[in-house]
Amino acid sequence: METLGFLMDGFAVALTPYNLMFALFGAFAGTLIGCMPGLGPANGVAILIPLAFTLGLPPETAMILLTSVYAGAMYGGRISSILLNIPGDEPAMMTCLDGYPMARKGRAADALAISAIASFSGGLIGTVGLIMLAPVLAKFALSFGPAEYFALFLLAFATLGGITGKNPMKTVIAATLGIMISTVGIDISTGTQRYTFGVLELYEGIDFILAIVGLFAISELLFFVESRMGHGREKVSVGKLTLSFRELVSTIPTQLRGGVLGFISGVLPGAGASLGSFISYTLEKQVLGRKGRFGEGDIRGVVAPEAGNNGASSGALVPMLTLGVPGSGTTAVLLAMLISLNITPGPLMFTQNADIVWGVIAALLIGNVLLLLLNIPLVGVFVRLLSVPPMYLLPIVTMVAFVGIYSISNSTFDLYFMVAFGIAGYFLRKLEIPVVPIILGLLLGPEMEKNLGHALVLSDGDWSILWASTLAKSFWLVAGLSLVLPYLVGPLLRRRMNAAMKESPVSD
Amino acid sequence: MTGFGDRILGLGLMVLAVAYGWVAQQWPEPFGGAETVGPETFPTILAVVLVAGGIYLMIKPDPDAQWPLGKSALELVVSLLVLVVYAMLLEPLGFVISTTLAVGALSWRMGANPRSAFVTGLISAVVVFVLFNYGLSLNLPAGLMEVH
Repeated sequence: METLGFLMDGFAVALTPYNLMFALFGAFAGTLIGCMPGLGPANGVAILIPLAFTLGLPPETAMILLTSVYAGAMYGGRISSILLNIPGDEPAMMTCLDGYPMARKGRAADALAISAIASFSGGLIGTVGLIMLAPVLAKFALSFGPAEYFALFLLAFATLGGITGKNPMKTVIAATLGIMISTVGIDISTGTQRYTFGVLELYEGIDFILAIVGLFAISELLFFVESRMGHGREKVSVGKLTLSFRELVSTIPTQLRGGVLGFISGVLPGAGASLGSFISYTLEKQVLGRKGRFGEGDIRGVVAPEAGNNGASSGALVPMLTLGVPGSGTTAVLLAMLISLNITPGPLMFTQNADIVWGVIAALLIGNVLLLLLNIPLVGVFVRLLSVPPMYLLPIVTMVAFVGIYSISNSTFDLYFMVAFGIAGYFLRKLEIPVVPIILGLLLGPEMEKNLGHALVLSDGDWSILWASTLAKSFWLVAGLSLVLPYLVGPLLRRRMNAAMKESPVSD
Repeated sequence: MTGFGDRILGLGLMVLAVAYGWVAQQWPEPFGGAETVGPETFPTILAVVLVAGGIYLMIKPDPDAQWPLGKSALELVVSLLVLVVYAMLLEPLGFVISTTLAVGALSWRMGANPRSAFVTGLISAVVVFVLFNYGLSLNLPAGLMEVH
């Protein structure tokens, strides 16, 4: 009941016209970002962060804007999956399987509509799950000491690659690089200058926002230049909506199953939205067996993965909000926003910044409704924008990133830094070193060091305190397992995902 | 030899890690005496982890990626130059002119025909400039177009 009261307060925050306007703008921009191939949700949120900053938005509004973008991007990913057979972002991959065949049969409008509805119910289930689970987890997390936190951060890094990840060692390397960058600047506890080399701009450390924008946006531009995909794709027609009410009702069980499964895999570290949509698609196939015509344009084959990935995207907010430990790239970027707003994420946020937390949660609920309303009538607009060739779009996006970074500090020094991060990001991505752990390292590095210091002060210099409690032990164990498991289970899972992709008759 | 990229990366990371760790040992002891966790403790741990990672990459490299050669590589360098020059000219030339040039050059190099590329650049520059300076009252440099 307490929760309900907080939620009402949250609605009071989110429903002010000012915040509602930003939620609407975020939802719209997010859908756009999601539907353009190459501009994933993490990327989109990253570019908008400096803007949210320079606008001087109050913290709750900034967070509402960015979470709406996040939710919107999850909706948008499906559009290019269905129309072009190219997933707009990774979690939308499974939507291609039945969405594209449906579009080929002339039912593109139906596929878009039903997937919007599925996204809505997935998002709704996920958000309800978030409302129920987050306060409980936050209360539990209050009992964590510094040693537990240190182990938890390790766990976050270890699971970031996910069990489908290719080379866990590269995740470790990336995370270490990120933490190393975070040590640049004046040490908080002793005042020692570390790695500043006397450069004044480095005294305050490296601003992670420009690192994020460089690593994501600039390296993306470089990838596009290299692949010469500038011309975009031909235009697709959507056709008429022929979805019947009965058909809609028949997908309700699928929506429920997909949403719940997605939420669970979103909360679990290392699973994430891609696995969420994969699991719900596979389960649906198992449950319906021969009755379904999966891979040939079965409507439930569109519903299951969409409900799954939107459920997962809300689920992924649970560890980010309650523990301050994000489980995915986009939630890591959201965490960056929180930290730069001077809000310490974690269990205390639920008591100290209750208005922000619950405002964001309420905004997610409202955002889902807005997105559903936006997505059904406006689908034509999004489709038209999909055919804007990247050769115009990406330079403009890059320019917006420049403007955003420049307007934070009004110095061109930061711009050079951002370009340097872009180059580094390009090379690292080429070498298959993932960028998300670098960002997470940058964000969590200072916290990790602080907790290590505290733990050792408490134990009077005895290092074994780091794995003394049962809870800390189990974190270490899971962290260890998630680094070893990809070697054992990963190839198998990846093969199954690929096999599922190939089974579809139109895999061109 | 396969895995050449990863081996070089591994070597580079090792050099970086050793340098990073070595620098950490040079810091003076903080005022008030040494604690168990000083400013150098955490960086030292990181250096050790990264050395291990580098060695691993050199022993077990992944297959090589496809690196851009010839024309693609040149295009990449050109795009990077555009970005750097954009950052350099932003203040002296002002936002509108430098953005028109940068966005135009980028989309031209990405395959648009020059005219529509630079028109796109000009339109986006003016829209963003007006939006930021008048709508959001943030100051983007006006440069040459400054009214004295």
